Amino acid sequence: MVLDQLASGLVYSSIIVLGSIGLSLVYSIAGFANFAHGDTMTIGAYTALVTFGAVGGIGGSVLGLPAGFFVALVAGIAMAALVAVVTEKLVYSGMDLDSIGLLIASIGLAFIYRALIQLGFSAQSTRYGIQSLRPIEALVPYGVRITEHDVAIFVSASLLVVGLHVLLQYSDLGRKMRAMADNPDLARVSGIRTERVKLWTWIIGAGLAGAGGVFLGLYSQLTPRMGFNLLLLIFAAVILGGIGSVYGAMLGGFLIGMINQLTPLLSDIGIPIGIEYANAIAFVIMVVVLLVRPNGIAGEAT
Amino acid sequence: MSLVEDPRGYWSGLTVAEKGVTAAIVLFAVGLVVSLLGGLLAPTYFLFLVGLAGMYALLSLGLNSQWGFSGLINFSVAAFFGIGAYGTALASASSSPVAGGLPPIVGLFAALVLAALLALFIGIPTLRLRADYLAIASIGLAEVVRLIVLNQDSWTNGSAGVRGIPGFFEGWPVLATFPDTMPTIVLGSGPGAMVLNAPFWQALLNVGLVLAFVGVSYLVLRRAHRSPWGRVLRTIRSDEDLASALGKNTYAFKMQAFVLGSLIMALAGVFYAHLNLYVSPGDLDPITTFYVWVAVILGGSGSNRGALFGGVVIVLIREGTRGLPFEAAPIRLLAIGVIIVLLMRFRPQGILPPQKELIWPGTVDETPQQPDSGVRETKAGEK
Repeated sequence: MVLDQLASGLVYSSIIVLGSIGLSLVYSIAGFANFAHGDTMTIGAYTALVTFGAVGGIGGSVLGLPAGFFVALVAGIAMAALVAVVTEKLVYSGMDLDSIGLLIASIGLAFIYRALIQLGFSAQSTRYGIQSLRPIEALVPYGVRITEHDVAIFVSASLLVVGLHVLLQYSDLGRKMRAMADNPDLARVSGIRTERVKLWTWIIGAGLAGAGGVFLGLYSQLTPRMGFNLLLLIFAAVILGGIGSVYGAMLGGFLIGMINQLTPLLSDIGIPIGIEYANAIAFVIMVVVLLVRPNGIAGEAT
Repeated sequence: MSLVEDPRGYWSGLTVAEKGVTAAIVLFAVGLVVSLLGGLLAPTYFLFLVGLAGMYALLSLGLNSQWGFSGLINFSVAAFFGIGAYGTALASASSSPVAGGLPPIVGLFAALVLAALLALFIGIPTLRLRADYLAIASIGLAEVVRLIVLNQDSWTNGSAGVRGIPGFFEGWPVLATFPDTMPTIVLGSGPGAMVLNAPFWQALLNVGLVLAFVGVSYLVLRRAHRSPWGRVLRTIRSDEDLASALGKNTYAFKMQAFVLGSLIMALAGVFYAHLNLYVSPGDLDPITTFYVWVAVILGGSGSNRGALFGGVVIVLIREGTRGLPFEAAPIRLLAIGVIIVLLMRFRPQGILPPQKELIWPGTVDETPQQPDSGVRETKAGEK
């Protein structure tokens, strides 16, 4: 039982980590809590739905997923990034507001994204046209019931996270992003083109969110509310890790995903709190962290 | 100076936005009356709309006393609305799993007590937090409340909701039987005739109730806003450090404003429960919170009359999209989203920002300034 929940916790964490990195990146550089981030994930998921419907027949399969799904994944990432860039250019860059004003504006954008998706695809839940798999036989004797799709989610998310790490630590853009997150004014006077770095931050953050959305759709199903429903968990993860810290967001996302999936264990050890309160536990943890250690586990630096 | 003594002077003292809004309201009211007389709008439905507008106005007034007066970003409006509705429902409904069957006036006080407790539960941990953390934490705690209402079947009937809520005036002398004793009046003839029967009188009674709630809240808040207490709140909104330096216990003031606003939101919930006669966990959905936020920032943060105006606009969006030939939910959501973005882009201070306030955010850090627009150069009526 415990092993099974740990395994599904790993998978769920992967999705949350993808979401929380982007939220944290954007927070550290654009300077506000982006409530539209969850709906950016939804955009990725629905783009993948459409793309997979078009290219689903492409041959070959990896980890139980048709090759076309990976095309759809890339499309989802690209669309989420594109929407973020357009939004930044059209909306945010024209606003002369403090972080609270931007936060409220992002709520409006979240509604616009979600309303447009709902207009196009209705409020009903849907799924990718991918056959769901039986749990991997070799693991069943250990009580672990995960599918190859779950493994694919975990592996892809890990690759993306490692890729981001390499980008942040070893590339020119990554260094500029870290400099800007530390001190935007100093970065600007040092000759960094902060506007360009900001745009790249939006692209990377939203792209990762798009990937998270695609995997969330594979993990459960697609609804126009899927991203918004996950948003508070992602906030909990980001705050737990330390808002604005990318590595903190990874750690926080991992912990929140794990706690979420391990909730059923509470009733096993005699605490009568069921799975229906899994999210509530995450929110309470979030508030406690804010009270005890507002800088989160990893502090506020990148 | 007042409208009665010197209407022309009053009008010329208004800003362009105020004139525009006044004109729009007059036009809108004329349109309503015409469609009412023309039979397009059933009188009972019209009164229902007025009741709903009053309910949103209450919610907006409540949020305004938190966000507009004191700068608290409370994203748990839906939780207070829901706890108000559930408080009175659980006390008075016949199907209540807890107490049930009590007079609604007891339900009113039960709801207010519950709301005050919830305000402390949410406020004590969150009011010390930075503004954006407060937003996130309060919406998280509101979700905790919603999950409890949804899942604790033994307290709340869970997803089935609570039925059998009596009307607010049940058991009152005269008012309890008022709708049934009033005669049925038919105005006009043919399909356009207005039939004033028991549901109409019931709706009229509900409107009276919400107007009483709104009136009392408005007067209390206006008094509070002008009092020294309100001045401290505005100082906290502008510069909390300054308020602390002046020896004010900012945490206590913020908590008082938070509880006050939450009670008014719960009042809206009480009205809703006795209007709808049914409450369900869906009433605690976060979308209610965002509707109310739109009303407050649309009307103008800190402005009570702006909050009233915003409440009416929200009802327009919610009810005006009914009867469309396609599903209205996404249209409503889109309208809300577009309004928020356009407001924040072009008029972040709202349509009717408060006038003649001395303390604005930014007055302390920079040279004293007034908001870019919407401020009178002279007081109303002065030459």
